[in-house]
Amino acid sequence: MIPVTPRGFKDILPSEARWRESIVTAAQNCMSLWGYAPIETPTLEVGEVLEQGGELSPNLFRLFDVDNELLVLRPDVTLQVARMAASRLADNDLPLRLRYVQPVFREEKSLKAQARQFTQIGVESLGLAGAVADAEVVLLAIDTLAACGLQEFQIYVGTVGVLRLLLDRCLTTQAVDAQWQAAMLAACHQGSVAEIKRLTVAVGLDSKYARVFEELPDINGKGDAIVRCRQLVEPLGLSDGLDQLSATWEILAGVGAERWASIDFSVISAYDYYTGLVFEVYVPGLGVLLGSGGRYDRMMQRFGASAPAAGFALSLEAVMRALLHQGIAITMPETDQPNVVVAGSNAVEAFKQAASMRGKGKAVVIAEDQARAVRTARQKRHPG
Amino acid sequence: MSLLKIALPKGNLYADSVQMLTAAGLDTSGLSDPGRLLVIRNGELEFYIVRPTDVPAFVSLGGVDCAICGRDSLAEQELPVAELVDLGFGACMFVVAEPKDADQSAKEHYRRRGLLRVASKYPNITQRYYDSIGAQVEIVKIHGNVELAPRCGIAERIVDITATGATLRENNLVVVDKILDSTARFVGNLASVRTDVRVRRLAHRLRDLVELAA
Repeated sequence: MIPVTPRGFKDILPSEARWRESIVTAAQNCMSLWGYAPIETPTLEVGEVLEQGGELSPNLFRLFDVDNELLVLRPDVTLQVARMAASRLADNDLPLRLRYVQPVFREEKSLKAQARQFTQIGVESLGLAGAVADAEVVLLAIDTLAACGLQEFQIYVGTVGVLRLLLDRCLTTQAVDAQWQAAMLAACHQGSVAEIKRLTVAVGLDSKYARVFEELPDINGKGDAIVRCRQLVEPLGLSDGLDQLSATWEILAGVGAERWASIDFSVISAYDYYTGLVFEVYVPGLGVLLGSGGRYDRMMQRFGASAPAAGFALSLEAVMRALLHQGIAITMPETDQPNVVVAGSNAVEAFKQAASMRGKGKAVVIAEDQARAVRTARQKRHPG
Repeated sequence: MSLLKIALPKGNLYADSVQMLTAAGLDTSGLSDPGRLLVIRNGELEFYIVRPTDVPAFVSLGGVDCAICGRDSLAEQELPVAELVDLGFGACMFVVAEPKDADQSAKEHYRRRGLLRVASKYPNITQRYYDSIGAQVEIVKIHGNVELAPRCGIAERIVDITATGATLRENNLVVVDKILDSTARFVGNLASVRTDVRVRRLAHRLRDLVELAA
């Protein structure tokens, strides 16, 4: 039997690893220029801690350690950063701008063609609120995507404010329960207008609210979309979050980011921790989500601290698919083809010579003899 | 302009799907009689003819931008797609059924053994239904002619879709419970809905057609 990796996990051979490294380095450099500092979080979290943070996803990788503690492989980094900030940082440490590149793990059923490990490139901005902070996160996402080499992409920006308020209003004034509310949020998250309609009809929802549920996912465009949304929801007193979105959009448009960003009120995260700004990244012609982000000002409260927070995460693998889709040439650094020094009968001298060449910044490998040196030099590429 | 890829379900939703897209103004030439062709291209449109149960996978993985698909397949697969329009045709219902002469035997079986055996082409919907009513079941996945399962005794009940109930009656089965209504839906890939304006435009035209017919 030929051994293989577990389903949804894979080895990464040099040519791919180098490509990944070059993308990650470009992204990290970009984020550093925005003043974001690197962090690392543990691969495992205590199950209860994630639950406390509101992580109830059914696709968690779980395991028990020798102390019979239920541990979970991190499904994303945001909750971990909130936990870290709440437990390790004092108020005067804020604001904090953090970045990370880490693999995350999600259990997936078989036969769905889903990886169970992928790498997130992300940032967390802690202790910053308002339109300026929101605009910073979106603009940093744009800069990062461009730094990764993408020529075409679009960030679809919205707010959860309107929908949250609408759902709460329905719960207090309409004959609906929390289960209906959850089903409605799921339908809104997928922009499933047919399902939204079915849910409004099923409970005989007041037509003025039904109309908002049905029309909201179809409101998109540039700044005009915010105006149209306001016209729809303001008479009902549901314009929560629109002022901030409007102010954010003015900054984005002002710096010329309209080329890369749009407003889309169908963007509603499935995670209920978002409190304002939400956005998703797509590239035209590729039916794949590249990344998402937003604001989650109440997340740290779940861990007993309090600070506004926002951030985003891109999937490295999705970014790579988008680069391939756009036919963007992959350029590898020069050091790929090392020089060869032959050891022959004097290995000590060869190592010394190699060291001096490396001192001048040249990559060197040592071959035992001439024949091996020729073979090494002929190896144009590493496998993979 | 880039291609707009549309998947259509083979089988009993096919003719109505083609008719609906034609009414929405799409060039559907060649679709009504595709012969053995599985892909038909008309200008910027590319149609894929796929098995109904496969449509959600084609859409959610971005193989096509949009599609027509029964709610039954969507509910069974539970893959992320945007259900944009309820097209109204292809109405059917998920039901639980048992042999007419079984009388109370399934209940008796459940009382004694604490579990039921249920045959279905839709194991996920079946499991969710029995979870919701808090009953323990063993599900046998069958790929067709589910009506045979109770007859030869490999299951006490079946979960299947029915439009008129004719097949159930012919096989001497009676409906015990109704689970879920299904009609054809116009669905979109979550990325394409946002990135390709043609998907939303088509959804709007289809919605207008449905409202006009109502």
